[in-house]
Amino acid sequence: MKKRPLKFSIMITTVALAAMLTGVWLAATYRENDSRAMLLPDQVMTLFPDPRPLTAFALTDHQNRVFDLASLKGKWSFLFFGFTHCPDICPTTLAILARARDNIAKDAVGAEDIQLVFISVDPNRDTANKLKQYVAHFHTTLLGVTGDDAQIGNLAGQLGAAYQVSIAPGMENYPVYHTAAVFLVDPQARYHAVFTPPLDAEVIRKRFKVLRELEGAKAT
Amino acid sequence: MIWRHPVFAGLTLALTLITAASEEVGVSVRDAWVRETPPGVAMMAGYMALRNNTSQSQVLVAASSPGFETVMIHRTIVKDGMTGMVHASQIELTPSASLIFTPGGYHLMLMNPKRTLRAGDRVDINLEFRSGLRLPVSFEVRK
Repeated sequence: MKKRPLKFSIMITTVALAAMLTGVWLAATYRENDSRAMLLPDQVMTLFPDPRPLTAFALTDHQNRVFDLASLKGKWSFLFFGFTHCPDICPTTLAILARARDNIAKDAVGAEDIQLVFISVDPNRDTANKLKQYVAHFHTTLLGVTGDDAQIGNLAGQLGAAYQVSIAPGMENYPVYHTAAVFLVDPQARYHAVFTPPLDAEVIRKRFKVLRELEGAKAT
Repeated sequence: MIWRHPVFAGLTLALTLITAASEEVGVSVRDAWVRETPPGVAMMAGYMALRNNTSQSQVLVAASSPGFETVMIHRTIVKDGMTGMVHASQIELTPSASLIFTPGGYHLMLMNPKRTLRAGDRVDINLEFRSGLRLPVSFEVRK
């Protein structure tokens, strides 16, 4: 029998040991995060392992009521940034969110602890009255929210929601750019997850169902 | 002789007309719809599936409608993590190619409807091609 060089044997042993240790470590990590792991491999929903608490902001809803940090507490909030002069992506997303909410409402737990929030980044054109007409079309529970640039920027910044309003003097239809993602804030007002397009109502319902069960189990 | 028979002559005429009609159609459209919008909203979007049945490229250059002040061919794009719209001045459909106008992609931007459109209504939009082909399409308003 040919004897293997010592150096080579040491190398093989090291690699084998490292692989074993990695396996043990992975298994332990997986067990520890077992319940969360089932939500991780997903292209639709990105879940944050350490949900980030949001800080104070002040906006106004379509009924001229204050919409602030307290408005996010005690409910799961699905937030979408857009504007009413948006013909494609905004109505599409809001229709999907409305359908997702209706589908969630059919589950045993219901949808009483869910709020849908449309945040207009175009307060120049989207007055409370305009928002009122707009949101009612999609869902009776949909909130239309806006405010001054600084406060919209405050909340958008906390969620990493990019937007850009290019108002030009005398221009009636100025371009507005905004993220198409839907942000999920948990009942402790923490930024918990983000849904990225293409969105689907049933997929949102399924992912949310698992997430809410996991969080509910943690709380008790 | 059989080709003098009136039924045969009629059939021939019908076949000729059908052929002429499908050549004229050239580009076919299906599933044409417009999303119903909330009251007071002046911006709507039209979607459809186009197919070029001719052996030449067909270039969509414009669209117009008696139902709207302005119709533009737009595309939703993602730039720096933000979505926005760009005007598409023309779209080429190579022979046998299909192109789908769909939410989040190409759409007809329909500005200032002349009347309130409700789900179930229909609205005509004319598609104009560089070849001179003009295709009237009936769009259904949907929720």
